[in-house]
Amino acid sequence: MSSAAIPPEDTPPVAARPPHRPRRSYFAGLMYDTFGRTGAIVGLAWVGVIAFCAVFAPLLANSHPILMRTADGQLSSPLLRYLTPADVTLLAMVPVTVVLLLLRRVGAGKRILIFLATLAAVIILSVLFVRPPLTVVYDQYRQMDQRGEIAWAIYTPIPYSASDRLQDQPAKRLVAPSREHLLGTEDNRADVLSRMIHASRVALAVGFIATGIALIIGVILGGLMGYFSGIVDLLGMRLVEIFEAIPQLYLLLTFVAFFPRNLYIIMAIIGVTGWTGYTRFTRAEFLKLRQQDFVQAAKASGLPLWSILFRHMLPNGVAPVLVTASFGVASAILAEATLSFLGLGLVDEPSWGQMLNQAVGSSGGFTWWMAIFPGGAIFLTVFAYNLIGEALRDAIDPHTRKAPAA
Amino acid sequence: MSDAEPILTIEDLAVSFPGPPGQRRTQAVDRVNLSIYPKQTLAVVGESGSGKSVSAMSILRLIPCPPGRIDSGRILWKPDPRSPADDLLRFTDKQMRSVRGNQIAMIFQEPMTSLNPVYTVGEQILEAVLLHQQVTRADAVVIAERALKDVGIADPAGRLKEYPHQLSGGMRQRVMIAMALACEPRLLLADEPTTALDVTIQAQILELLRKLQHNKNMSILLITHDLGVVAENADVVAVMYAGRVVEYADVQTLFTRPLHPYTRGLLRSMPVLGQNVDRLDTVMDGATIPDDFPAGYKVAAHIEDANPPDGYGGPNAYLYEVEPSHWVLCEADAAKRGMKTPPHVDVIRRAADAVAS
Repeated sequence: MSSAAIPPEDTPPVAARPPHRPRRSYFAGLMYDTFGRTGAIVGLAWVGVIAFCAVFAPLLANSHPILMRTADGQLSSPLLRYLTPADVTLLAMVPVTVVLLLLRRVGAGKRILIFLATLAAVIILSVLFVRPPLTVVYDQYRQMDQRGEIAWAIYTPIPYSASDRLQDQPAKRLVAPSREHLLGTEDNRADVLSRMIHASRVALAVGFIATGIALIIGVILGGLMGYFSGIVDLLGMRLVEIFEAIPQLYLLLTFVAFFPRNLYIIMAIIGVTGWTGYTRFTRAEFLKLRQQDFVQAAKASGLPLWSILFRHMLPNGVAPVLVTASFGVASAILAEATLSFLGLGLVDEPSWGQMLNQAVGSSGGFTWWMAIFPGGAIFLTVFAYNLIGEALRDAIDPHTRKAPAA
Repeated sequence: MSDAEPILTIEDLAVSFPGPPGQRRTQAVDRVNLSIYPKQTLAVVGESGSGKSVSAMSILRLIPCPPGRIDSGRILWKPDPRSPADDLLRFTDKQMRSVRGNQIAMIFQEPMTSLNPVYTVGEQILEAVLLHQQVTRADAVVIAERALKDVGIADPAGRLKEYPHQLSGGMRQRVMIAMALACEPRLLLADEPTTALDVTIQAQILELLRKLQHNKNMSILLITHDLGVVAENADVVAVMYAGRVVEYADVQTLFTRPLHPYTRGLLRSMPVLGQNVDRLDTVMDGATIPDDFPAGYKVAAHIEDANPPDGYGGPNAYLYEVEPSHWVLCEADAAKRGMKTPPHVDVIRRAADAVAS
């Protein structure tokens, strides 16, 4: 027996303890339980598809070749040249996100901080330095190809940009789904699949940013109301009631009638009118938590108010708010789709609601592919968020909970 | 009592909460006087609703105001014998935060719910240490590990990474104590620290507190309703009833010569080992709301004596030093008449002697 096998005298008896159950925080446990449910997996998969389309839209559907060589031997990438700052930002954040997800050693808070910092830097840099040509001629390369000026070119899977009206092919109006146009074309000759892929950006952005605005307002107000209660709560609840009395859709309609149409204003309106639910939930949770011993203990150890509210109370009461938030994302998408369907949405950017509107075109006839595909996309996306919300709700409900959180 | 000056003095503290609609406020704490000397353990005993927790929470100003209100009084805090005492009730929120957890720490009754379930033990101790001490994170980890080691937790480094649900009740209370003591407070408010634990763990925790008090030069305000815990751990005892301190003496005096009828009733209601009784004596009123403290305190109800003496409660009663270092709540005329002892004290003392012998 070698001497190395005998532990030294002062070794603490660590090995004697039974092996630990995996150390999993409340959140990790909640996420594990939520996304272990079939519904949530399906929902998450569809949201993943949408997110993939949104981020890689210019690489999936574009009239400009990825790489080409002209007849006189020049190698160029028109696609890269025509990328907008938004495209560049989204594409640049992909490797950053992947690296951050793989960096398991760094704490979650730090990783979020790094992510936000890089995001800000990339946005600033891309706005400053990315200058796509102002005039875009979509049929430029198709024309060049026809004239035999291109030796070879590699195109994206769908060789049509979202705003490519196929000026060179006047016969392509309202073509039914075919091999060339998998989901058909619009009244103005644009490719439906390409527009749907690009429209996923609007759907995703509206859902997340509008809900994010609502969440921030709702959680802060609800947290203060629940924590202080009394007169703060009384006044806060009256404010909630005032905002609940505002009909969101009519406010949106009025707004787009008088002001230039802007996606950010639409998101802000959906957010600013939609926070009351989160406030109610946060308030209720905080009212319940404020007398809990660990909150008293946090107070007794001299922690400042923001730490008690947002570090100690919020994580314990945020689960029901997250459930509402995932339903909120769905309803924000629906609100934007409604607005676009009514013809009051965005003008130049594609949106599912606006495409759905074209199913009954100006020429009168009903084009089934314009109804089914965008309609189906809206339905599936709203359904996916509802599935996630449902699974989250089941996961925090002790009666339907699968296993203890850890 | 010690010759040194008290580290904390509560003077005439009164705290009230709103009563039922249309009625006057409920006086949860009424003219309470207490003082704690360095290294001393002061036990506050009393039934539920007697105001012992509210008194302790008032020290750290943890009473939610509103609805609560501190009507009068001073809480003089004197951590340094050379500097003058400060009134904690006049501190700003910021000053108060630098006292909380740093100079005066508190541990709560329920170890099961006193730790935040979403953070590891380490994160919770570190937050307090980093808040009150100017140390780097690495140093704070060392302090936290030492604090866990001090309370007798094996493998402190490993435990720091665990969540509260992975610890047993006794372990959690040890963690709470470690957290409270990590910043080396001068005074520890222990609000029924062992009520939720079983007797074996209870003894361990109390033993631990005693040892740490000795090592760290700290005073303890021990709130409990367990007279056994009091007898073993306290130096001085304050008995509270209906928001008032009814008797205040060192532990020896209180257990051998209780003077206030309520204290006597309380002691009589303790079962004695090896004695068979059909019915234990009870303190009849149960949870009395403070407003009901009868003027002519009904001793009969409590100790079932034949001749109920008057003058041990009511608005005019006050704490009088009936013998050296032994204060009893009784009516002022006793003092006005120049009497060292209130009426009937002799009767009670004789009765107490009879019980003791």
